[in-house]
Amino acid sequence: MAETSEAQASASASAPGGDAGGEDDKRDERMLECNICLDTARDAVVSMCGHLFCWPCLHQWLETRPSRKVCPVCKAAISRDKVIPLYGRGNTKQEDPRNKQVPPRPAGQRTEPENNSGFPGFGFGEGFHMSFGIGAFPFGVFTSTFNFGDSRPSAAPHGTAQYEEEQFLSKIFLWVAILFVLWLIFA
Amino acid sequence: MKDNHAVSKRLQKELMELMRCADKGISAFPESENLFKWIGTINGPQDTVYAGHKYKLSLEFPNSYPYAPPVVKFLTPCFHPNVDTCGLICLDILKDKWTALYDVRTVLLSIQSLLGEPNTQSPLNQQASYLWPNQAAYKKYLDEFYNKHKDS
Repeated sequence: MAETSEAQASASASAPGGDAGGEDDKRDERMLECNICLDTARDAVVSMCGHLFCWPCLHQWLETRPSRKVCPVCKAAISRDKVIPLYGRGNTKQEDPRNKQVPPRPAGQRTEPENNSGFPGFGFGEGFHMSFGIGAFPFGVFTSTFNFGDSRPSAAPHGTAQYEEEQFLSKIFLWVAILFVLWLIFA
Repeated sequence: MKDNHAVSKRLQKELMELMRCADKGISAFPESENLFKWIGTINGPQDTVYAGHKYKLSLEFPNSYPYAPPVVKFLTPCFHPNVDTCGLICLDILKDKWTALYDVRTVLLSIQSLLGEPNTQSPLNQQASYLWPNQAAYKKYLDEFYNKHKDS
């Protein structure tokens, strides 16, 4: 008799313990829930501000408000390039139908260690080249303007109306070129 | 159809959460089989002129929920600076300040706190807005208004 009661007591004592374990498990599970669909995050990504989402959920959130991309949790700025995918160990290849409608989540950005001594100017290579191209243009105008009066076969003889006209035009082009250069310098 | 499924899944989760840990003074439940239409109730917050009043609201969830906010309306007529005569509510989190993180619970809690802390700068109900600074007169008017309309 005593044994049964003891067994019952231990059983009833262990029951709340088991429940508490269940609660803990639940809390652990909720830790990994997407903040949008409230389900366990699939194709999980984490924002720079540390909030977890399914990539499809976050993508749709960003799509619905292209002008104001903020984290749904803390309203920090967020973007496609500013999220980090989480690759767990059980990375099975289960195809989700929604994945076909959204672009694949961005790949992890893996920066190589060291090699910090790279040329710093490369970062804005494109912009640099573009501005150089525009900058070269007025000098081209300059050279053509300055070469205009030189011995050209079609140069009109002095004193004629055509000569006056050509002088006038060349002056205009010269001034346009100067203005353009000034604009480039001061704008 | 797939999206609809995701929305109802989320709404089901919200319902379970609401039933598991019921907050004081708010409740909500789907109106019928349709998970996209809920009826919520809010008790007027304590220590405000709304204390002791109980308000029914309707919540309609769009297919784009939770990316778009639910449409929330007072069913019980509510005399309040930010609620119009049709029950429409002027609340930023139900419009431009909405985020996908908000749910039924936070929406109802926000509306509950709006009752005690109206924004009298942009009122929908001018009369309520004028009356608000005089809390004694406001309470008197509110109680009469509430008793007259609570059954409608």
